[in-house]
This record gives sequence, structure tokens and C-alpha cells, in this order.
Amino acid sequence: MTVAAGIGYALLALGPSLSLFISVISKKPFLILTVLSSTLLWLMSLIVLAGVWRAFLPLKSNTWWPFAILILTSVSFQEGLRILFWKVYKRLEDMLDAFADRLAKPRLFLTDKMLIALAGGLGHGVAHAVFFCISLLTPAFGPATFFVDKCSQLPFFLVSAIIALAFVTIHTFSMVIAFSGYAEGNKVDQYFVPAVHLVAGMVTLVNFASGGLRGWHSSPLFHGNLNLVALWENGYEKIIRNQTVIHSR
Amino acid sequence: MAQNRRPKSVIDSLGEEIVRIVTPVSICMFMVVVLVSILNTGSSSSASSFNSIATIAYNETTSDSFWEKFKGALFNSLIFVAAITLATFVLVLLFYLRCTYFLKLYMGFSSFLVLGFMGGEIALFFIGDFNIPIDSITFFVILFNFASVGVLAVFMSKMAIFVTQGYLVVIGVLVAYWFTLLPEWTTWVLLVALALYDLAAVLLPVGPLKILVELAISRDEDIPALVYEARPVTNHDSESRNGVVRRRVWRERSSVGNGSDDNLNSGTNSNLSLDSDSVVDSNLTCGTVNSIGSDHNDRILIGAEQGQVLEREAELSAPLIDHRTSDQLHRQENSASRENLLLEGIGLGSTGAIKLGLGDFIFYSVLVGRAAMYDFMTVYACYLAIIAGLGVTLMLLAFYQKALPALPVSIALGVLFYFLTRLLLEVFVVQCSLNLVMF
Repeated sequence: MTVAAGIGYALLALGPSLSLFISVISKKPFLILTVLSSTLLWLMSLIVLAGVWRAFLPLKSNTWWPFAILILTSVSFQEGLRILFWKVYKRLEDMLDAFADRLAKPRLFLTDKMLIALAGGLGHGVAHAVFFCISLLTPAFGPATFFVDKCSQLPFFLVSAIIALAFVTIHTFSMVIAFSGYAEGNKVDQYFVPAVHLVAGMVTLVNFASGGLRGWHSSPLFHGNLNLVALWENGYEKIIRNQTVIHSR
Repeated sequence: MAQNRRPKSVIDSLGEEIVRIVTPVSICMFMVVVLVSILNTGSSSSASSFNSIATIAYNETTSDSFWEKFKGALFNSLIFVAAITLATFVLVLLFYLRCTYFLKLYMGFSSFLVLGFMGGEIALFFIGDFNIPIDSITFFVILFNFASVGVLAVFMSKMAIFVTQGYLVVIGVLVAYWFTLLPEWTTWVLLVALALYDLAAVLLPVGPLKILVELAISRDEDIPALVYEARPVTNHDSESRNGVVRRRVWRERSSVGNGSDDNLNSGTNSNLSLDSDSVVDSNLTCGTVNSIGSDHNDRILIGAEQGQVLEREAELSAPLIDHRTSDQLHRQENSASRENLLLEGIGLGSTGAIKLGLGDFIFYSVLVGRAAMYDFMTVYACYLAIIAGLGVTLMLLAFYQKALPALPVSIALGVLFYFLTRLLLEVFVVQCSLNLVMF
């Protein structure tokens, strides 16, 4: 595809995260470091998964059930890592609070904690988009573009970019929801995140069905929006609650 | 609404110094990747006729067997590292004999060569590839001015800090691009060999860089070297300071040029102007709590006037001094003449900002540039690995408070991630994403 189209696809997948980065994250250097480290963590998890699955690749692209197993193992591994991430984050929070006490500064606010969770999620999302979508774009510059047999109405890269956008949204906001769920012990939140991740991953398997199930391509986007809505309600509640606590002091 | 103005949280400014070092490193790597992808698309990937001291033993061709390539690359790297060791010992000797002025002149001269000749060659590649209409006289005038301003920026200390930083990054980019023209096996083995050399030269008691650092500390002089110093972080929260900022520094620093002694005793206040244009060698008078000879670190400077503990620098960036100098630069001519580009490792400048030697910039970018020659997925992986290694090195720096080499951790992680990505990850991710199976 042409360079202009390539940039378009890249912005499609990474546009919202770029604006999120510029408006929120670039103002606080600590969040930039959080984004970088969570990206690295996601990459390492991907390498471990690739190492485990290397012996079974390449899979035949006609059958869909090996991919189902692949998605199942990958999602469960990543959700397990999220719990590990949470534990590391708790320790980091304690260190930051102790540090703030020593410097006679206020401890971490609620919004700070949510910002750190957001930065972590954004790191995961950006890593996903970069490795699954952007890395396919750059070798494909040239005069023509690619289409897939199973979905011949949309260019391949457009589909890939849209799905990547959905997963960026899912990853970004899952982290916030999961962290607030772990912090408050809210079981609904805690199980919501892996469920959404798994369902969204499984839904991408419909790409094996031929005949262009066009509607299903937007299904991961639906999950992404679901995440967003859940996040909004969650976060809004917490902030309102926090403010009433402050008022009542 | 509850409060009109929320007090600043602790994460507002934490890690700012690290970001100020990570940013230029990232920019340097990005520019090298861009250069590599633009200029190398036309030519084939076979070894060019690039003769330098690093290919003196063996010039790789694609038809050799695995072991021949490996042995040849090993020979090349050993010769290169031996040459660098020799040059570093010469540097230590010159520094010991107090030929500082000569070293600074040489530093300026080599920057001029890098900017003029290497920059000129790359500009010529661009002109050739893109058919830019420019005549030779204009080109020469522009190039000459560019190189001269660069020499002044690096040489003189009173230039605007942004210009100095920009030129240092440009020098790093140019040298790194030339290194990526080496044959592939030689590049990888050379990177590993240089990381090991760095480790040895800085940490072993007989290492030349350790000797150099100790000489510099004992004489309380600055090593003339090409070092990137991040803009010092100013304390925005201090209200009633009247433009006086307290900094914790490692050592007392006499201003360069005159031999006057600005050492202050403990307990006196230190005044630093908040002029953000001041760079490394400008007129700073800093006081430490202890003299250098005792080689004692003190971590926190207590503000005598207000009884406040210093800001986050007290905890995060412990005082360190590590300067390592090494020479890595070689020209394209067939002669085995060596340039001495004086570079320093990672450490703390006199204003408390983090310093990173230009050699580190160069070799990080060489690694990423070489990864770019394969595929961009390796670029992303190696970039993350190098930044992680840099972060680990900075944390070790804060922990151990002594001279540390900046190359080994990052290069080790970068090489590891490159091979892991190339062998394992790429197949996996391409399989998944080509079938639009994502998670």
C-alpha cells in the first residue's frame, strides 16, 4: 500500500492511544516510564508464549481449533501476568507513599493510582497494536495492497487496524478496571476483565469463517466500548465517592 | 468542587531526569533507523566495500560458512577492541601528563571530521538517491558552516544547551550509521566484545577508564570528553528561594580555564543560578559536604536556611561520578588511522543532571540500526530492551554510587531480545496476525 495509506492505518490503530499519550501521559514523566515498562512486560509475555508454541508452528490455516487453544493459553497467561503486575504495583505504591511521606508531600491520590493503571494498560495496548498490526505494515509498502479471500470487501490491513484499535481499547481500560477491582475486592470487576479479554480473543476466530461476516469484525470494538462504559461508571462512582468523603471531613 | 488547586502529587515530577536521558537516546535511535531504512533500500544487503579497522582481518562475504564468518568476526572484534584499549591507554597517559588543552583540541578536530566528512558523505547519499538539485559550492558552504558550529557547540561551553545537545545527538547518529555499514556478523560480535571491554575497563582495577576516573577525581578536573548532559531539572516547587536552588553534587568543581579554587566547606550554602542556558562548564560554584580526597559520598544536602530536605534528587539520583573515556571512531579511508573520540560513561554532572557518554548513544543506535536491517519487529523489541537496560543501569548507579559502564546491560538485553524475536516471536506473531487471530 502507499505510504499515505500506511500512515492512515497506523493512525487508525494507534490514534486514540497517541492522543491519550500526548494529553495525559506525557505530562508526568513517571507515567512515561510506566508505559515503557508495561510495554516491555507485554513483549516478554509474548516471547514466552512464542517460545512455548514454537514447536507447534506453523499451524495450518484451515483449521480453527488449534488457534482456539492458542488464544486460550495466551489469554490465561496474560491475565495471570496481570495479577503479578498488580502485586508489583502494590509494592510500588507503598514505596511511593513512603517516599512522599519523606518529602512531606501528599500521598498518592485516587486519580494518581488510576493514572498509573491507565499508563500500564496503555503500554499493553500499544505493544499489542505495534506487534500485531504495525509490524505488518512496514514491509508491505509498495504499489498494491492485500486482500484476504475470506473477507474480500475490505483490505486486509484495514481489518487488522480496526481489530488492533479494539484491542488497544480493551487492554488500556482493562487495567484500570482490574486494578480498581483488586483494590476494592470487587469480584464482578475482577472477573469482568479476563472474561472480556477471552471473549474478544475468541471472537477473532470468526475470521476463519468464509463469506465475510463483516459485522463480526466490529465485535471486538463492541467489547472495547463495553470496557469503556464499565470504566466510566466505575471511575465516576469512585471519584464521586472520594469527593463526598473529602467534603464530609 | 472541593479544592481549587490540588497540591502537586509525588508522581508529577518523579523520574523526570530519567526521561530527559531516555528522550535523546530514543531520538538518536529513531534517526539511525530512519537513515538505515531510507538509504539501504536501494543497495543490496551484501557487504559493501567498506574498509575500516574493524574489517581489517576479515571481510565477510555471504558465501562463507557459519564457522568462517564467526571466526572472522571474532578476529575483527578482537583487533578493534585491542586498538581501542591502546588508544585509551594513550589517552590516560596524555591526561596524566596534563595535556588537557591538546585533548580538547583533538576532540574538536574529531568532531569536525565526523560532522564534515561523515555528515557530508551521508548528505551525498541523500543527494544521489533523491536527485536533490544542489551545486557543489553551496553544498560545501553549508557543510562547512554546519561542521564549524558543531565544533563550537561541543568545544565551547557557552553555547545554548539545546544546540549542544542537538549536535551531540547528530554526531552520535552519524557515527552509528557508519558502524551499521559493517558486515553483519562483525557488528554483532563487535557489540558484544565492546560491552565486555566496557565492563572490564571500568570495573577492573587495571582498567584504563577506572584509572582515568580516579585521576580526574584526585585532581578535581573534568575529563575533556564528548558527553551528553541532560538539562538539569529545576525545582519548580520552591517558592521563596529568590532564584537559589540547592543541588547535591558529587564533588567540588573548579571552573574550567582558570585554576581558581571554588571549593567550599561543608555547611555553606551553594548558589546556583537558575539560568537554564548554563551548561556543563559554565560558571557554577558548587559546594559539597565533603572533600573529594576522602572519596566519601553524602546523599542528602540539608537546606540550612529552611531546614527542608532536598527534593527528590536526594533519594533518586545518588551522587556518582563515573567517567569513562573510550575511543570509538574510525573513518572510512583505507588507512588505519584512528580517531580519538573521547567519551564518557554514565554519571552525574556538576549540576546534578545525568550524564551519558556519547559512545553509549552510538552503540545503542548501532544495535537498533542493525535490527532495522532485518525487520521492524526486531527494532521495537530491541528498543524496549535497550531502554530497559538503561533504566536498570541508572538504578544500579543510584544504588552502588560508583563508576558504572552503561553498555553491558543494554547490549546484553538488546542482543538477547534480537535473537529471541528473530527466532521465536516473529513466526508466532506473523502466524497469528496473518490469520487475523489476535489476543
